Amino acid sequence: MTDRAPSETQAPEGGGRRDPLSMLFQSGAWRFEKRLVVRPWHEFLTLVAALVVAVGIIAGLVLVIGKSPADSFAALYNGAFGTWESTLETLVQATPLILTGLAAAIAFRAGVWNIGAEGQFFAGVMGTWFVYDLWGGLPAPLLFVLMFISAAIAGAAWASVASGLLVRYGTNEILTTVMLNFVILYILSYLLAGPWQSPDTFYYQTVRMADTTYLPRFVAGNRLHWGFAIALIAALVVYWLIRRTTLGYEIRGIGSNVVASRYKGIRVGTVTLATMAISGALAGIAGAGELLGLHHRVQLDIAEGIGFTGIIIALVARLHPLGVIVAAILFGALVNGSTAMQYETGIPKALVFVIEGTTLALVLIAAMVSRYRIRKAG
Amino acid sequence: MEELFTSAVIVGIFWATLRIATPLLLAALGELVCESSGILNLSLEGTMTMGAFAGFYVANETGSILAGLVAAGIGGAFLSLIMALMTVTAKVNQVVAGLALNILGLGLAFFWYRSIYEAEGSIDIPTVETMEAPFEFFPIPWLTILAFVMVPVVWVFLYRTKYGLELRSVGHNPEACDMRGVGIISRQYVAVVFGGVMAGLAGSFLSLGSTGLFFPDIISGRGWIALAIVIFGNWRATWVLVGSLLFGFLEATQLALQASDVDLPYQLLLALPFVLTIVALVFNRSRSNVPLSLTIPYHRGER
Repeated sequence: MTDRAPSETQAPEGGGRRDPLSMLFQSGAWRFEKRLVVRPWHEFLTLVAALVVAVGIIAGLVLVIGKSPADSFAALYNGAFGTWESTLETLVQATPLILTGLAAAIAFRAGVWNIGAEGQFFAGVMGTWFVYDLWGGLPAPLLFVLMFISAAIAGAAWASVASGLLVRYGTNEILTTVMLNFVILYILSYLLAGPWQSPDTFYYQTVRMADTTYLPRFVAGNRLHWGFAIALIAALVVYWLIRRTTLGYEIRGIGSNVVASRYKGIRVGTVTLATMAISGALAGIAGAGELLGLHHRVQLDIAEGIGFTGIIIALVARLHPLGVIVAAILFGALVNGSTAMQYETGIPKALVFVIEGTTLALVLIAAMVSRYRIRKAG
Repeated sequence: MEELFTSAVIVGIFWATLRIATPLLLAALGELVCESSGILNLSLEGTMTMGAFAGFYVANETGSILAGLVAAGIGGAFLSLIMALMTVTAKVNQVVAGLALNILGLGLAFFWYRSIYEAEGSIDIPTVETMEAPFEFFPIPWLTILAFVMVPVVWVFLYRTKYGLELRSVGHNPEACDMRGVGIISRQYVAVVFGGVMAGLAGSFLSLGSTGLFFPDIISGRGWIALAIVIFGNWRATWVLVGSLLFGFLEATQLALQASDVDLPYQLLLALPFVLTIVALVFNRSRSNVPLSLTIPYHRGER
């Protein structure tokens, strides 16, 4: 084939000609110009505008299927924050999202696109179950520590498959992490159909864990468990790690400029491996928390998109560890409220994905708009 | 094992290979054109789901598969137009935009599917007629034939037309194109939307071409595999064809193995395509043909 790089070939003939399509889109009348200083209130205004537009689009979508937007938003809000119980349940939903949000945030900070939080979450669940299966009789405090460590190691190990290939062979980590999500789901499906399957059922699930392994709860009769505290602590640790440690400095370094970091003597490969291990460990801990705090048995539908929602949360929070907490609570509210909305108005819960996608798209556009000004070209 | 080597099974694997390769080939060719213009569209999975649903819905309402295909193309074009708006006009990070649209595409398809077919607790999911094979001795649907015809079409377009050359130039060196007065934005829009239409058609093959059904995880990773095929194929149409056929063949063999009495856990066979994708990416590291400005947004007058 004669596919030389265009730089070697002659430039196309007839330069300066404009085709009609390009007139339409480029038209020469408008152009983006980078702002030298991004004003915070500008950023805030565009963010608010993005959210307003998002609400408008969602309302339109609800109208299209013949429901009342006001009623559905009210049901959504009441389901999320209407009562004390529903507010606590929102925090329950936010718990794993904080951890997977942090997992995505720290990796993205380093410019490593870990899309595999979902798979690493499952690795954590499996790591937890593995320890429980082996040493379930140990005294509770020791067992808890072992289970969480095992979950973190399992998540880190699964993430390290992708980062190892990235560092050693330059394999695109976006694709490997996505592929590994599918692979681990099938491995778990195999285990749940065979070695780990509960003998008294034909469902793909393990036996229920002993209630000594349940994470303690904050309020009796409510589902909010200690996993929430673990998630908050993790957010503070990640914040400290990124802002105050050498590793954090190097993570930010390779994230903003790999070449400069390499010249400065930062070992890019090592930092990449460390970042992915931390990221995977966070997702793994999320898995342990869900298993020990809520589900108490391993099932295939234990994740429900927690890993993917974490990515959105990290991006909406602009990769800030403490912002992740706020965003995770908002998205937890969305998940929690949507159940009530489906129950009361019959609008499918899947609307949450639409809200997530729309919000993220508009927030991203808003972020760019606040950084650029659109001017009439003079 | 012996029963695997009977001629009936081998012929079956051959036709299955072509069928299974169809959605991968369509989506990967579209993505090839898209990436050639310097835009990485990661939202193939979501776009294919949109296409699969739009095609299914319209085919079910109108009874016409052709109308379904048109709807699938429009669905894919709609999502990719948002992609182009975000990445070409607003210059949002392409990876992030792709992830957002992936979720949006999946969400829209799930949402409409559930509100139309599972409203008020009743689950009434119709099936539509699947595409026919145009020739009797040729047991493959015509969308498969179209997919294979698109290989030379895309090749000629990219390497033998002026517009294709300009499009690839935009993907390599947009600044030079801008100086020559080659419209970057319009070419990127065209490429992204073309990729979206192809992904929409690819998705509709799964609902209209093989199952006659729609279900939320109908694409189950094929969009991501198509993305991998573009990398594996080193951004060349011919190698994209080879990659799609290879995956089609492995999947077809896997299905034949499941049907035979070879004692292997089926889950491990299902995981195989994903493992092989990783292996293929590791062993095929030639990136000599990668568009040099892939994922780098172009700002006029900036460095």
